[in-house]
Amino acid sequence: MKNRLPGLAIPLLLLLWWILITGEGSDTLLPSPAEVFSILVHPFQDQISTGSLIWSMTVSLVRIALGFSLAVVVGIPIGLMMGASRQVRKYLSLMIEMARPLSAIALLPLSIILFKSETLSQFFGMSYLRYQKHLLNEMQLGMIFILFWGGVFPIILGTIQGVRSVRKLHLEAAKVLGARKAFIFRYVMIPSALPDIFHGLKLGIGRCWMVIIAAEMLPGTNSGIGYLIRYSYQLSRYDIMLACLVIVAIIGAFFSKGLEALGEKSLVLRSRER
Amino acid sequence: MKALSVTGLMKTFKEKSGDVHALGPVSLDVTQGSFLCVLGPTGCGKTTLLRTIAGLEIPDSGSIELMLGADGRQPVVGYVFQQGALFPWMSIHANVEFPLLARGNIDRITRRLRVGAILEMVGLSDFSSSYPHQLSGGMQQRAALARSLVTQPDILLLDEPFSSLDTRTSQDLQENLRNTWKEAATTVVFVTHSIEEAVYLAGEVVVLGHRPGRIVRRQVINLQDPRSRLSQEFTEYLVSLRRTFEELVEEPE
Repeated sequence: MKNRLPGLAIPLLLLLWWILITGEGSDTLLPSPAEVFSILVHPFQDQISTGSLIWSMTVSLVRIALGFSLAVVVGIPIGLMMGASRQVRKYLSLMIEMARPLSAIALLPLSIILFKSETLSQFFGMSYLRYQKHLLNEMQLGMIFILFWGGVFPIILGTIQGVRSVRKLHLEAAKVLGARKAFIFRYVMIPSALPDIFHGLKLGIGRCWMVIIAAEMLPGTNSGIGYLIRYSYQLSRYDIMLACLVIVAIIGAFFSKGLEALGEKSLVLRSRER
Repeated sequence: MKALSVTGLMKTFKEKSGDVHALGPVSLDVTQGSFLCVLGPTGCGKTTLLRTIAGLEIPDSGSIELMLGADGRQPVVGYVFQQGALFPWMSIHANVEFPLLARGNIDRITRRLRVGAILEMVGLSDFSSSYPHQLSGGMQQRAALARSLVTQPDILLLDEPFSSLDTRTSQDLQENLRNTWKEAATTVVFVTHSIEEAVYLAGEVVVLGHRPGRIVRRQVINLQDPRSRLSQEFTEYLVSLRRTFEELVEEPE
C-alpha cells in the first residue's frame, strides 16, 4: 500500500487541475488537461511554425547531451585530482567556490560576448548547411557553454566527495597487498568513489534541464523545447506551453532516475559492508 | 636464521590532547619459519608494532629489518586486518587476485591457478563469484587470509583476525591457520589479546605490557600437535601467562 502512494500524486494533480478550470465562475486562462493531451498525442505535428514537439525535444536533448558530456569530461578529472591531492584542492577550491554562485543565467550576456551566435556548423566550417534544417545549425556554442556551466559543478563536487570518502582501511589494505599509487587509484579509489560520482552526475543532469530554458533564450535561437515554452507563451498558446512542461518533467525525471539506478548498483556493493 | 629483526622501535602519536607514547622501545628477533604471537592487553601498542613492521606507520626511532627471500629478492609481506578489509565491490575471486594483479608480473593463467588453489585451501571454492557481503564473518576472514597468502609471503602479519568472530568459528580458523602455517612454511607474527588463542597457535609468545608497549615476557610454547585445549600442559601455559597478565593490571601505570 505504502509504495503506491507516489503514483497517486499524479492523478490527484490532474483532478485538481480539472476542478480549477471547470469550477463555477472560473476565469482561469489555464487550458484543460484534455487540450494539453491533444497536443501531446500529436508529437509530429508542426507547432506554431517552430517544428514538431519531437523536433524541439531532439534539439534540446542534443544540446543537453553536448553540454553535459563536456561537463562530465571536464568535471570528473578535475574532481578526481581535487579529491586525491590536497595541493590541487587548495589551489582550485577558491576558484570553484567563486564560480559556483554565478548561475548559468547570470552568464548569458558573457556567453553572447564570448561566442556571439556561432553554431557548431559554422564552427566546423560547414557553411553549406546554412539554409537547411539541420541539427548542427541549432547547436549554438554559447548554449553548450551555459549547459556545461550548469552541469559541471555538481559533478566536480560529487567526485571530490567520492574520492575523499574512500575508506582508509581499503587504502591501507591495497598498500600492504603491494599495490602502487596508480593501481590503487584505478582499482580502489575510483570504484569507491563511484556512488558519489553518480550522485553528482544526477544533480548535474538535473541542473542542465533547468538551464536549458535559460540557454534557449540566447538571441538567434528559434528551436528547442525551452524556446517553444517561451514562444508559445508569447502567442498565448498555453496548451502548447503546458504540453512542453509535461514533456520536460517526464524526460528530466527519466534521466535522473536512470543515473540514480546506475549509482544505486555501485552504492549497494559499497555500503553493505558497513 | 632470522626472518625479521626489530631493534629499539619507538612510536609516539601526536594527538590534540598531547603526545601519546604508544610503543617501545621494543627489540625483537623472529626466526624464519616460526609462529610468534604478540600478546597484550587492549591499547598496549601491539597493533602499532605490527603496522610499523608492515610499513603502515613510520617509527620515531629504531629499525626494522626484513631478511631477503631465498633468491635475494625483496621479501613479500602478507597482512590480515582485524576486519577483513575485503573490497566490497569485488567478488571473492577478484579480491584474492588483487595482490597478484597489483604486482603486475604474473600472467593470467598463473593468477587463475593460484587463486583457485588458495581458495580451495581455505574452503571457499564454491564462493569465488560471491561478494563479501554475501559471506559470513568467518568466511570473510578466510577470504582475507587467502588474499594475503596468495602471494606466498615470506612473512605473514595478522592483527587479531579472529577477534570479532564467535568462539566456535574462531577456533576452527585457528586450527585452519596453524595447519596452513605448517604447510606453507612461512613466518607468522600474530597479534592477539586472547591468551588461549596465543597458547593454541604460537611456537613462542611475547607479552607486551601496558602503554607504552614493552616486552615483559617471552615464553616458548612447547606443545605437541594436534594441540588440545583441554590438556594439562595447555592449561599450565594458560595459567602461567594469565599470572603475567594479572601482574600487569595491578602494576600502576
